[in-house]
Amino acid sequence: MSLLSVEQVVKNYDGVLALNGVSLEIQKGTIKGLIGPNGAGKTTLFHLISGIERPTSGKISFKGTDITYMEPHEISLLGVGRTFQTLQVWGNMTVVENVMAGMHAKLKGGFLSCGLWLPGVRRMEKEALNEAKEILEFLGLLGRWKWPASQLSFGEQKILELGRSLAMKPELLLLDEPAAGLTVTEVRQLAKRISRLRKEGISVFIVEHHMGMVMEIADEIAVLENGELIAVGRPDAVSSDPKVIKAYLKGTRVDA
Amino acid sequence: MLPLWLLSLILPDPHLDLRQEARLRKRDLFYSGALLLLPLVWSSPRLHYVMILAGINAILALGLSLFLGYTGQISLGHAAFFGTGAYTTAILTTRYGSPPFAAFWVSAAAAAALAYLVGRPILKLKGYFLALATLGFGEIFLVVVREAQDFTGGVIGIFGIPWFSLAGFSFDTYLKQYYLIWGVLMGLVLFCKNLIRSKIGRAFLAVAASEDAAATVGMEVAHIKLGAFVVGAAFAGFAGSLFACVMSTANPEAFGLNLSVLIIMMVILGGMGNLYGPITAAIFLTWLLDILGKYQEYSMPIYALILILLLITFPDGIGTRLNIRLIYLISYWGRKRRREKVDL
Repeated sequence: MSLLSVEQVVKNYDGVLALNGVSLEIQKGTIKGLIGPNGAGKTTLFHLISGIERPTSGKISFKGTDITYMEPHEISLLGVGRTFQTLQVWGNMTVVENVMAGMHAKLKGGFLSCGLWLPGVRRMEKEALNEAKEILEFLGLLGRWKWPASQLSFGEQKILELGRSLAMKPELLLLDEPAAGLTVTEVRQLAKRISRLRKEGISVFIVEHHMGMVMEIADEIAVLENGELIAVGRPDAVSSDPKVIKAYLKGTRVDA
Repeated sequence: MLPLWLLSLILPDPHLDLRQEARLRKRDLFYSGALLLLPLVWSSPRLHYVMILAGINAILALGLSLFLGYTGQISLGHAAFFGTGAYTTAILTTRYGSPPFAAFWVSAAAAAALAYLVGRPILKLKGYFLALATLGFGEIFLVVVREAQDFTGGVIGIFGIPWFSLAGFSFDTYLKQYYLIWGVLMGLVLFCKNLIRSKIGRAFLAVAASEDAAATVGMEVAHIKLGAFVVGAAFAGFAGSLFACVMSTANPEAFGLNLSVLIIMMVILGGMGNLYGPITAAIFLTWLLDILGKYQEYSMPIYALILILLLITFPDGIGTRLNIRLIYLISYWGRKRRREKVDL
């Protein structure tokens, strides 16, 4: 059984057909790339999967559970993490707090027990802090753990957003253009880290315009154009597909 | 175990106090000491009285700070919870003869319960719509209080509420009430500090910054907003109960829109996402209004002018990066003088 399956999903924004009958599947432990020209419906598809928006029709299921009409927080509790195309780092917190906030659902304690700082709460906070620091070490941000998140560079904030979604230990990670705006070195490091995530059993669904990176790390690539899937397959197969070349690559063949 | 826990409430926890305002510093000890000694050093009844009102306002501002300053939601009906607290205490003590200490807790519970009932439907709204809904709620509260005469005494209100007392000790002077109210405030500050250095505080800030992002890490946004609203209302309930005991009366005059706006002003002037700022602002504004009171019809224009000047000087609030602002201002004056010299 596939981890995520999207079946015949249609999204209609008051007459604008953003997605028209898209179906795809993601297997456990794989990286799937999603490419397509601007306005093809990539981010819409992510919004539908993570529950921020509802499809007009169709069905989305994760690990066999129907999540089509679930609330965003319920979907994330099932194990779907995501990052945003437009940065959504919480600039009013420090770097490490951003990551710790990602563990929110795992930490126990309500308003009263937190307000009274019961011993159990303190212990859990301490564990969360250590775990958050480990994640920051993996991402190379440990040196700045006490910085206000708003003072990180753009690239670092994107990495931090990835760290925040990793903190909730997702099984499926939706990355919306993680490499946009990053320097060449940062993109290379990001690619390495994403590949490492796969080794740890996290499946990744990634929207990216940075062709070199997607072609390198993805096991399979799906191509969207005007709300319809025009090709799905291995990176080399997709990049030589005439339909894809015509629609997206504008006639120039791209080598991975 | 118990003494260890109590110590953990008071002592700084350098590893876990990630938020600056949750860190107990020498400065805080200094301010607490100053507040402790102030009424003894300067024992004028007027000072005690104004500081009592300032303390009550500070409790209100602290509660709203969680909802407005941290969670980033607006409420124009906070005074209604203050009124709920005051009337609960008034009715319980005068009608049913319950001891004020018990009424104190029941008042907070009543305000919290009301906030829960009201908050569930209206916290789905955002921005202006939330402001309007809470404004309407505040007005409805006043109408109900005025019309339910058998219960609340209508526009005249309830008289003869007894002094606050605890285990036979009666808080019957302004001095004793001063310590009572500022003692309660300090307890509530500790509660807030713990709240904001825990997962709850992070959730507040996350909701304020980006609700979508908060939901994608498993935070139930509606639940968090409601929680901030209810805790803020419970604080207002405590404040209302103390207010009723201090004034020994409760009438609808005191719980209108004016007060709601004043509390919002305290939070904004004190700084969003800040605990001490709103308290400082509460002391400042209470004194300001008291002093301006003798200028009668000129008091409001002067009050407005001072607020505008303060917000221009400290756009982030007086509690936020006060030192940085001061350094900036001084260096600005310095630069200006230097520039003038060059021009000459």
